[in-house]
Amino acid sequence: MTGREPSSTVATAVDVAGLHVRFGTVEAVAGVDLRAEPGQALALLGRNGAGKSTTMRVLAGVVPPSEGRVEVAGHDVRAEPLEAKRVVGYCPDVGGLVPRATPWEHLQLSARLRRLDGWEARGRALLEQFDLGAVAHRVTAGFSHGMGRRLSVVLAALHEPEVLLLDEPFDGVDPLGVEATFGVIEDARARGAGVLVSTHLRDLAVQVCAEVAVLRGGVRLATVSAEFMTGDEGARAYRALLA
Amino acid sequence: MPIALSSPEARSEVRRAVADLRHLLWFRAATLRRPRAVRVALAVLALVTVAAATLPARLIAPGELDRLLRPGLVAVVLVGVGGAIAGGGGRELLARDPVSVHPISPVTDHLGALVLAPLSAGWLIQTWGLLGLVSAVGGPGALPVGVAWVVAATTLAQAIGWTAEYLRRRRVLAWLALPLIGLGLAPVPPVLAAVEHGDAVRRALVAVLLVAAAALLVVVGAVVAVATARRMPRDEARRETSHHAVRPLPSSDLAMLRRIDRASVWRSVPLRRGTAFLALAPGGVALAGGLDWSMLALMPGLVASGCVLLFGVNLWCLDGRGLLWRETLPTRPRTVLLARAWVLVEVLVGGGLLTLALGAVRAGRPTVAEAAAVVLALVVVVAQALSAGLRWSAAHPHATELRSARATPAPPLPMVGYSIRLAVATTLTGLLFGGLGAAGRLDLMVPAAVVLATASAARVVRAGRRWSDPVRRAAVVAVVAG
Repeated sequence: MTGREPSSTVATAVDVAGLHVRFGTVEAVAGVDLRAEPGQALALLGRNGAGKSTTMRVLAGVVPPSEGRVEVAGHDVRAEPLEAKRVVGYCPDVGGLVPRATPWEHLQLSARLRRLDGWEARGRALLEQFDLGAVAHRVTAGFSHGMGRRLSVVLAALHEPEVLLLDEPFDGVDPLGVEATFGVIEDARARGAGVLVSTHLRDLAVQVCAEVAVLRGGVRLATVSAEFMTGDEGARAYRALLA
Repeated sequence: MPIALSSPEARSEVRRAVADLRHLLWFRAATLRRPRAVRVALAVLALVTVAAATLPARLIAPGELDRLLRPGLVAVVLVGVGGAIAGGGGRELLARDPVSVHPISPVTDHLGALVLAPLSAGWLIQTWGLLGLVSAVGGPGALPVGVAWVVAATTLAQAIGWTAEYLRRRRVLAWLALPLIGLGLAPVPPVLAAVEHGDAVRRALVAVLLVAAAALLVVVGAVVAVATARRMPRDEARRETSHHAVRPLPSSDLAMLRRIDRASVWRSVPLRRGTAFLALAPGGVALAGGLDWSMLALMPGLVASGCVLLFGVNLWCLDGRGLLWRETLPTRPRTVLLARAWVLVEVLVGGGLLTLALGAVRAGRPTVAEAAAVVLALVVVVAQALSAGLRWSAAHPHATELRSARATPAPPLPMVGYSIRLAVATTLTGLLFGGLGAAGRLDLMVPAAVVLATASAARVVRAGRRWSDPVRRAAVVAVVAG
């Protein structure tokens, strides 16, 4: 159904080396290295201001990197911005919806600009999966926060991207929405996409990701297995990393 | 529960509202992006006001402007009330969504709207014009009457604006509040007489009566504002819960982007109301006044500068926080900009043409030069408004979603700056083409239009180049999408 099938020749879904992002005198990201293989889900954890969302925005092609190499599915986000955007699906951390467009119009916009064919059935199925079928033709301005989050995940997943970026996808979402998001992540992994999940909810992150990268002050402190971050021991280890 | 106006509860409420207003104004002042520029702008506005109020008395011969005083007094009331009815309660001290979690009363909101009312080009230009007329006709001694008239008209407009919004929220046509405008027109003869022939005592008496009426209208407005706040904003709620039929996928990226942008304009309550008001009100005035073709050349500028202020000065506000997601879509930045510019031009040209069509009904058959003047004025002011909108949108983006009927695309002070700059540019353009049309100088008109349109086109191209820069785009997204 999609306009582009995942490339089996791509060795790395996400490859970030020495990423710096500066806004004036503020250095939001100060040398992050990240790597996610196809079929791998990597969680980004860290305190507010750690640089998680900025890193995600760089990968999504919204914020240009000030320094460093950033590739998604083999495309350099700076040199090949359109190609990079075609292979990425991004759920932003805030908002992310055009207030006076309907969910279906959002899907149409994404499908048209990505040259998708036969996307309607998948679009409808995703909306139903996220319990948004009844509001598919209502403008999003009146949506609750959770509805907006769920629709953002749908939009990120519609074109079966090679790299799925979910920034705070569980924030304010009910348990059924969390389950549906887990489903999207599992599907993406199963078809060989790389997944990055940025969240403050460690418990949920470790359920759905194999590895966890912890960021602090704009740099990556450590990358550990999700198992290491699980349960009370994991919580203590996480706090120790943040301290 | 309703409380008596003179009760201790009411007095306490007023005291609290005034204190809250002070805090909110302080907050507004403390969060200004460029405080020095704002101080300079306010000083310039004050200087212009003083000049408008004093210079005509020295420069204009007595009797020269007497016939314009009555229309001047009436216009202040008409424009104020018309704008207030369309605006649904006047300007907001703070945007509706962030303010909704704070205990800010409708009385504070009402007082805030009154304080912010002068921060509009329409209000300022009308006021400067009226003070100039009063000064020229009655001398400096008549100025207190002129000032009191402006204050009373402003408070009346605000009270009628709340009444219209109350009716709207009760599912009654808001324009049914329009006959209340008679309250503002009734005192015109005695005020006119006081300015033209009154002695100092009579003028003082009229001024005091007007100020007393204004005080009463502030209270009435507060009462209606409280009653209005108890009801759901019906138009906004209806728009935000309405369903829209599925349409087939368009044939090009540009068409798809245009469709989304068009929907963002026509599904927004303030933009629908504002566009309808600007398309019909100036045309209605032209029709009622039987303006000739040289005056009609001014109309496209008036409409274009008003329409571009609805959303064109901060074009990305149509996406609100959705701009962040839209920026991740794989399409050329230039296509996105072209779609947005196209929709803005549609609104500008549509409003201008409707105004001209209404004005043409009583303007008689134009000469070739007069018709060309009007058409070229429309083309040039649309180009000027578009280029200004694109430049300001990139240089000074603001975070707003235009959900409330009272929302504006930028804070009040920048809006004043934009509106005055637009009004000056488009009015001069209208005067130029109106004058050349009346003189039958088609030979000068065409080159002038080419020069002015080319200058605007060059600015549009430059704005397109700037939007193609990912760093600049990221900065806009960071502000608009939060």
